[in-house]
Amino acid sequence: MFAATTSTSTFTNEPVLELRRAAVRARLADALATVDAVLPIRVPAWIGVDTREGDELLSTDPGEPERVVARAACAGAEEVAAAVHSAERGAEAWSAVPASERAAVLIGAAAWMRERRLELAALEVRECAKPWPEADADVCEAIDFLEYYARGAVALEAGRTLAQAPGERNELSYAPRGVAAVISPWNFPIAIPCGMSAAALATGNAVVLKPAEQSPACALRIVQALRAAGAPPSAIALLPGNGEAGAALVRHPKVHTIAFTGSLPVGLEIIRAAADTPTGQRHLKRVVAELGGKNCIIVDADADLDEAVPAIVSSAFLYAGQKCSAASRVLVHEAIADALLRRVAGAARTLVVGQAEDLATDVPPVIERAAQARVNRYAELAARDGVIVAGHGQVPDRGWFCPPTVAAELPAGSAVLEEEIFGPLLAIERVRDVEDACEIVGAQPFGLTGGLFARNPATVKYVRARSPVGNLYVNRGITGAMVGRQPFGGNRLSGNGTKAGGPDYLLQFVEPRVVTENTMRHGLVV
Amino acid sequence: MTARIVATHRTPSASGRYRPAVGSTSEQIEAEVHRVGAELADAFPSPARHPMKALDARAMELAAADLEIRAALFRFVDVVPACRSMDDLARHLAGFLDELPDGPPPVLAAIKVADTRAGRAALGAAAAAGVKHMAHRFIVGETPGTAVPVLRRLWARGIASSVDLLGEATVTEPEADAYAARCADALRSLSAATARWPERPTLERDGSGGLARANVSVKVSALTPLLRPDAPELGERDAARRLAPLLREAKALGAHVHIDTESLDSREAVLGLVLALLTQEEFRDGPSTGIVLQAYMRDSPEQLDQILEWASAHERTPPPVIRLVKGAYWDHEVAEAGQHGWPVPVFEVKAECDRNFEALTRRLLAARPTVRVAIASHNLRSVAHAIAVNRSSGADDGDLELQVLRGLGDDLQDALAARGFRVRTYCPVGDLVAGMAYLVRRLLENTSNESFLHAQASGVPLDELLAPP
Ligand SMILES: Cc1cc2nc3c(=O)[nH]c(=O)nc-3n(C[C@H](O)[C@H](O)[C@H](O)COP(=O)(O)OP(=O)(O)OC[C@H]3O[C@@H](n4cnc5c(N)ncnc54)[C@H](O)[C@@H]3O)c2cc1C
Repeated sequence: MFAATTSTSTFTNEPVLELRRAAVRARLADALATVDAVLPIRVPAWIGVDTREGDELLSTDPGEPERVVARAACAGAEEVAAAVHSAERGAEAWSAVPASERAAVLIGAAAWMRERRLELAALEVRECAKPWPEADADVCEAIDFLEYYARGAVALEAGRTLAQAPGERNELSYAPRGVAAVISPWNFPIAIPCGMSAAALATGNAVVLKPAEQSPACALRIVQALRAAGAPPSAIALLPGNGEAGAALVRHPKVHTIAFTGSLPVGLEIIRAAADTPTGQRHLKRVVAELGGKNCIIVDADADLDEAVPAIVSSAFLYAGQKCSAASRVLVHEAIADALLRRVAGAARTLVVGQAEDLATDVPPVIERAAQARVNRYAELAARDGVIVAGHGQVPDRGWFCPPTVAAELPAGSAVLEEEIFGPLLAIERVRDVEDACEIVGAQPFGLTGGLFARNPATVKYVRARSPVGNLYVNRGITGAMVGRQPFGGNRLSGNGTKAGGPDYLLQFVEPRVVTENTMRHGLVV
Repeated sequence: MTARIVATHRTPSASGRYRPAVGSTSEQIEAEVHRVGAELADAFPSPARHPMKALDARAMELAAADLEIRAALFRFVDVVPACRSMDDLARHLAGFLDELPDGPPPVLAAIKVADTRAGRAALGAAAAAGVKHMAHRFIVGETPGTAVPVLRRLWARGIASSVDLLGEATVTEPEADAYAARCADALRSLSAATARWPERPTLERDGSGGLARANVSVKVSALTPLLRPDAPELGERDAARRLAPLLREAKALGAHVHIDTESLDSREAVLGLVLALLTQEEFRDGPSTGIVLQAYMRDSPEQLDQILEWASAHERTPPPVIRLVKGAYWDHEVAEAGQHGWPVPVFEVKAECDRNFEALTRRLLAARPTVRVAIASHNLRSVAHAIAVNRSSGADDGDLELQVLRGLGDDLQDALAARGFRVRTYCPVGDLVAGMAYLVRRLLENTSNESFLHAQASGVPLDELLAPP
């Protein structure tokens, strides 16, 4: 169904489904039925060859909360310890496997996913209410990470060239760090955990994966893919669980690397905990952190609103704004602010709020009841502090729906303008000019994504130079980074600057080692 | 049903002019293509009026010769209506010229010296005037009302028109409503105005009967903000709410409504919408309606199957007009497919597109009178081919409509009218802001090395221009 890639070929992105074709759309219903027939999925704690099933965690369909998607075990402290213990031995064996063989496993896992693309996307539709196009893109991204890091690890194994002087040989190589704890979110339920795990495995580390409690079934499929492709059971363990399991994992002295994607408070906690060196720990832990954002799109007076409006609306509202890259503030030049506000509000009113399985849906429900309450709280705050220009619409009453909301005239300092909301709420602010907008962006603690709509090349140059964000998008939407094309990750409090899907990412999972050998014997260079 | 065509064959054509008998072997058709092509080329007005020359000749030469300059110039044209002052305009121009890897070419270097505010204002004013002038070659007026005198003069010279209302993209419901209201208004004002025009038999009758004078081209993407490539029914349903009243209005007025085809992202919605509406009982006998088939699409033969199947299953009076074009979104389709890793839906070799255009021409002409046929092209070869095939089928010249775009096809339009062919010119109406996207698309398309107009303007000999693709 989908063309397989061979390990020797150059990397290309897995093409997303061409859903504009009726014949492609027609295949989705079957995939959904196939998945529905196996629900609920049992997700065990899976350590080495041992599995323990459990009912402690339930994941439910956010659009139909009575539908149980997964029944998962909830890993306790003992299982965390067992998983790390197993991974410690696993890391030893796996690190001895040549990079090309490790790469073959990753590419095999990509093939496994490719064969099941529609069912995997359907599972995301159910477990995370991710609409089809985005669910499909997530599965493609997971495949991309596997393929991209596989190739990257093979290249990395060759080391890097160093300066050489007569009578001396200098070699730089990269060794795996050991056990990697992967703690992942639910919003890209296959791509992100798969990407972080793939990077660790490709470079010879063993992985203990602790996925978000909202998406254990999606995580199970990743581990199944890797194991089916030949990853040794001790090289990847699955620990479904809640925050306590994650915290225990982070504090464990035998964990070397922690790859985390999630919120700022949890990220800071992890970084603090990882700084500890309890007795018995003989290394410094490294944390790879992808945290929150408060992403701004700047719109200059010369912007093409026909392009800017749809891009702003999709950046803010697709997947109900539940992407770390999503737009949450628009800073618009006062000369065109009225027109932009009117058109963005009008466009937001046309958005279809509905179930993720419906291809007409623009805005699905948010992930859970608590998220709905949080978004509603911010919407109330926005109504109190400013003016709601779109967003009083009716939403379905079953499921965790929030109306797409556009707020304006918020006073500086309003929490709506400063805190990450992670929902379908967009604030529009007038600025005097682009410089003013850059000041506002520059004063923020976050630095994840940003956008600019402007047609003067000089303006683009100016904003590029001043923008602190990890990913700046010019004259387009600010979500949808592609592996190999838009390496993704934030600066400042948005993350420690690593770029997933980029050429430097694997360096986070290895230790560089330099060997210098004297090649002189009795005055002769040999 | 072919009886009707045969009937027109026997009776003198509406204009009563000479129609040669043309054989149907490929040699005979090729000979006729050359004969017609040469005859039309002869009737072209003097080269000084060529559309390429209408633009600033030196800038256009530069644009065609250097891709970077072309990009800079068109990016500039594109932003002109969004500039707030002459000073702002000049700053943009300087910004684009700064981007050029080798610095601005000598003819444009003068622009860069405009370092003073007064200098920039003067430069900005000159540039704005240039762009405005250029826009007026392509856009006939700001409103249907102001366009009417232009359309009347065309009619007087034997040229029919179709009015296209330019506008900003529709992203909200009120914008869709406003566009629908403008279309309804255009239908009414054109019907009222054209009623007083003198008779032009060539333009008013073909083998299938009378032809409407008032003719409006409509874009579905402007009729709804809900076009979603992945969910065509959504946009289809919403656009139908606005298109149905327009069809009712057109039927009452005896006007023609043509629904343009846009990019592949909306194609299914557009075709689905039109076929569904026209199948409804109230529209079985009118208004006269048309759709567009794009020959650059690899699957256009199957699209035509679908259209013809529908047309013969739901026979209508008057028959639907199928406008055959190559397609205006070539770069977009190629880039979008490339960005997503999809198979490219359009031909990538120009000659393949042109050959397909000719194959579709033959099929369409053979499908009459279930459909009416309009061949829309500025390519003398494509047009002469259609005329030759039409003649070889025994039909009258008047059973084939030829269409051109205002500003690009002016010379061909004049030549066709001079030789007594039935020609219709697509006339965009709207203000400069709304028109800029249209203008830039046309300019880009026609400075492209693949374009027939470009080849013609660069002096490629007629024989080569008329050679089979
Ligand atoms: C009256 C009228 C109405 C129109 N309405 C529509 C409409 O509704 N929808 C629409 O899409 N277009 C429409 N067009 C535009 C039309 O599709 C063409 O873009 C335009 O007419 C140029 O084609 P040509 O035959 O005149 O010129 P040519 O120079 O012979 O052809 C240029 C065309 O060839 C194609 N082409 C260019 N490069 C390549 C390549 N490398 N490989 C394959 N093909 C290539 C492109 O389609 C390009 O536009 C209309 C044109 C006219 C005259």
